[in-house]
Amino acid sequence: MAAAGLGPARLFLGRRRGAMRALLGLARGLASGPQTHFGFQNVSEEERREKIYQVFENVAEKYDVMNDSMTLGIHRVWKDILVHKMNPSPGTLLVDVAGGTGDIAFRFINYVHSIRERQLQQKLKRHQNLSWQEISKSYEEEKVKPLGDSQVVVCDINKEMLKVGKQRAQHLGYSEGLSWVLGNAEELPFDDDKFDVYTIAFGIRNVTRIDLALQEAYRVLKPGGRFLCLEFSHVSNPLLSRLYDLYSFQVIPVLGEIIAGDWKSYQYLVESIRRFPPQADGRT
Amino acid sequence: MLRGGRGAVAALRRAAGSRGAGGQGRGQALEPSLLRFLVCPLSKRPLRYDESTNELINEELGIAYPVIDGIPNMIPEAARTTRKKPPAGGSKETSGPAGPQQ
Repeated sequence: MAAAGLGPARLFLGRRRGAMRALLGLARGLASGPQTHFGFQNVSEEERREKIYQVFENVAEKYDVMNDSMTLGIHRVWKDILVHKMNPSPGTLLVDVAGGTGDIAFRFINYVHSIRERQLQQKLKRHQNLSWQEISKSYEEEKVKPLGDSQVVVCDINKEMLKVGKQRAQHLGYSEGLSWVLGNAEELPFDDDKFDVYTIAFGIRNVTRIDLALQEAYRVLKPGGRFLCLEFSHVSNPLLSRLYDLYSFQVIPVLGEIIAGDWKSYQYLVESIRRFPPQADGRT
Repeated sequence: MLRGGRGAVAALRRAAGSRGAGGQGRGQALEPSLLRFLVCPLSKRPLRYDESTNELINEELGIAYPVIDGIPNMIPEAARTTRKKPPAGGSKETSGPAGPQQ
């Protein structure tokens, strides 16, 4: 039963060259013509962008609560796994696209912070004969640079989502090495070859021109930089698939109405998961 | 007399508050660490940060991106033109979903 609420996810980990080309081929197929899809409806590209903007504008305040109820908290596990796979070292520059409420960014900061702390502990352990001056100097350095030059830029197209993210950051005490930018994944406001890692978690299926987003990802990543994409996938097991469909289409929109007073937005979110190409297409 | 006094105090407080917030078009300033990454999303060329108006300016295209609540709004539809005449490339006046919201 837990699987029904799981919303199976998969991780695309692509090095800058080969995997990107494969994903571009897939995306060009999706970007055919000005007509596109919004969930199960057929709409123009412009309409799709507007509708999706409104969906996230509506759900922003309740986004985190809904994620927990829809996936029974399992989305947290997937996001934890993403950051562990990323394994960022101090000094890593991350751009988190469609990162709205900051889930990946906060995890990145926590991870790097704990690595830094461990490094400091090990350094102190190794140098048993340090003077008090040298020890306090090490602690001072750690206080001034708790993340060791690591930075995460959260980029999202939706003002409301960013607002919620910024509030959460203030509330949870995140400030160092974190910044927020209102921008379009299809047209990023960042210079070439800047970032070590690009993440997009549960966001790429909401992008209208995925091919453009991938091109931009390629552009802003340093050579050898990594592209990490976390997204829902299709369930291959037929029994699970039926249960999952039932849960998605009968339970989730109702939850959306009860918790967020917005059934239509959650209907879209569930449909968009079905519309996104299955994982096999990503591999070819 | 007392009412007048309270009114004056309230007016002073209001004035001080708005000055603290930065007045029209300012608000929270941009994080300096962002300047190393940000470029114009259209031309990908460098921007100039204007502290007085709290905007990121692309001189070549003559457009300015606002910084609202410390967050730079880098959507082309939200940028304003800085010149009286539209630039040679033509300004983007599409009705996007974002639009300048204040």
